[in-house]
Amino acid sequence: MAASKAQGSYLAVFWTAITVLCAGIAYFAEGFGKLVLVFGLAGVIISLVGFLKIKPLEGKTAGVTGIAAMKILGIAVALGGWFVTIAGLHLTTSTGGRLIFALVGIAVSLVGVLGVLPVAFGKSVAGKAQSSSFMAAKTTMEHSR
Amino acid sequence: MKKLCRRSCLGLWVLALGLAFGLAVHAQAPAPAAPAPAAAAAPAPATPVDAELKDAAGKAPSQADLQKGDPSGAITGTISDVPAADSKAGVTLPDVANQVGQNKIAVNFVWTLVCGFLVMFMQAGFAMVESGLTRVKNANHTYMMNFFVYTCGLFAYWIIGFAIQMGGAAGNSNLGGLQPLASEHAISIFGKMWGLWGQSGMFLVGHTYDVGVMVIFLFEMVFMDTALTIVTGACAERWKFLAFTVSSIIMGALTYPLYGNWAWGGGWLSQLGTNVGLGKGYCDFAGSGVVHAVGGITALAVCMLIGPRIGKYNRDGSANAILGHDVSACLIGCFILAFGWFGFNPGSTLGASANGNLRIGTIAVDTMLAGCTGTIGAILYMWALKGKPDYSMSGNGLLAGLVAITAPSGFVSPVSSCIIGLVAGVLVCLSCSFFENVLKVDDPVGAISVHGANGLWGVLSVGLFADGTSNYGGSWNGVTGSVTGLFYGDASQLVAQLVGISTLIGVVFTISMVINLALEFFIGHRVSAETELAGLDIPEMGQLGYPEFVFQPEPAVLMGQA
Repeated sequence: MAASKAQGSYLAVFWTAITVLCAGIAYFAEGFGKLVLVFGLAGVIISLVGFLKIKPLEGKTAGVTGIAAMKILGIAVALGGWFVTIAGLHLTTSTGGRLIFALVGIAVSLVGVLGVLPVAFGKSVAGKAQSSSFMAAKTTMEHSR
Repeated sequence: MKKLCRRSCLGLWVLALGLAFGLAVHAQAPAPAAPAPAAAAAPAPATPVDAELKDAAGKAPSQADLQKGDPSGAITGTISDVPAADSKAGVTLPDVANQVGQNKIAVNFVWTLVCGFLVMFMQAGFAMVESGLTRVKNANHTYMMNFFVYTCGLFAYWIIGFAIQMGGAAGNSNLGGLQPLASEHAISIFGKMWGLWGQSGMFLVGHTYDVGVMVIFLFEMVFMDTALTIVTGACAERWKFLAFTVSSIIMGALTYPLYGNWAWGGGWLSQLGTNVGLGKGYCDFAGSGVVHAVGGITALAVCMLIGPRIGKYNRDGSANAILGHDVSACLIGCFILAFGWFGFNPGSTLGASANGNLRIGTIAVDTMLAGCTGTIGAILYMWALKGKPDYSMSGNGLLAGLVAITAPSGFVSPVSSCIIGLVAGVLVCLSCSFFENVLKVDDPVGAISVHGANGLWGVLSVGLFADGTSNYGGSWNGVTGSVTGLFYGDASQLVAQLVGISTLIGVVFTISMVINLALEFFIGHRVSAETELAGLDIPEMGQLGYPEFVFQPEPAVLMGQA
């Protein structure tokens, strides 16, 4: 689809809505702040629905879809490493102990980020997936000629 | 119907802005009455000091003297330039003291603002580097992302980001105390209070309509924009402009400010020293972690989501080199960035007067040296192992050294900065190869390695190399003493830095990934394969970057035909 008037219009709605939403947060303590917040939220939802509506117009992309469960696992492991680090601060008061907990926590997070997620996003099939997407795009281009 | 819809949207936009501004003006607190000048009170009895001041006033150059001109500068700037609260009483000691205070704050304001202006100019450097390293068919799109990210980030930061980051950052005496920013949301865990986000400063209205707040807003805003523009490079040549815009707005409003608050705004990372005795708390002098690692890690998350460019990888998984179109833009951009870094690092003292700020000279020299050794490390690595001193990795080596020294620049010696820079120069080469060949993450400009990997290295190096000689008012993050790393006797500082690194990899990455997964669902990050092959300039921006150029056909392998 490329950039279009519909995209620009829904972006304008989104931009407006988050401005109003933030105004609502800023003055939440006052009565009208809550009302403004609701208007802002409604605007954000409208813009997101609009984005969703025009998304299929983009056509076939070369991105890889990956495996949803592994994505969630990767994110969970990445975040879990941080909990290990933070737990270490309270489980021991020795600097050495905290150092070990921090290193273990970082290692766990790295497993999630560099180990699980690249597989979840299909690094091993990157070439193949792209090639098939390319073929689809090429076919479209040839038809349009 | 469509026209009507568009008009309605635009009308809504104008109306909402008007509403927001109207609210802001409505809620504007009345300006507090100016405090009565001290000298307006009952006149104090004359003291010997007053007599000396009167004597000095009597000896001040007359109007006639000044009219003759002052080629040597000896009679310009005397007691006659000190405003007297009571003209009849003449200049008094309180007048002089007030002037000294004003001068201190004025020097710090000017220093911080000028450094902020330098950092703002770095946007031009980023635009040139990123565009130079991408193909000519995407030049307009890459330049436009770097141009528009400034607007997206600034607006998002103004409406909420600044409040989240700095809303609880009161207490900086260099900028007059910043007392309007005294509202931090904190929670109690194990009997200690931990700051999570700031709460004052949205839209810069009410009590935050304050001269000091404006200075810190400008300075912090340009830092935030630096982080945002890192992502545009990593995702260049296939990122849908709409998705980029929304992603940048959310990063400027939420992701960056959150970590910024934890490190710089009085949040929980800065409290690791006072609350659990880890050194001086998490220390990140100018933002290897806050700015560069946040940008680099977000770039990694989006790059994973968006996938590699068509033609980057073959069916067997091997990578193809996709060359940039403009060596001169890339290397001139690197120089502009190196120049701007003199605002980034020395400017992070937030002043040049008092509280140990004369260390700005050391900070500037550390910055230069790390950039120098970063370049040396990268050039020698590439030359020795690959046979040629590659221009793109040379530029990335310079930037890697600068990124790595950003966090420790305020705490380390020139020798340490050379070591930190040299390690960064080699690390960026290794990291680029790792992401490209092992993880299959396609980063056209090496932003993940330059800013992510070296940002983390910079944060770590504070915990190793800080030598305990810095003295910014006798304490850091509320803990008395100087920041001291493992090599100078304080292992607990290293733990504090590791907690920061863990937070970057565990929390910042997760937030970025979740936000961008949501955007993938609603918008879709990637342009169509057809658009990507044709180049993003025409489909996304409507015009070629270089309309009079005749394009050479790309090799078949880069068109996905291998």
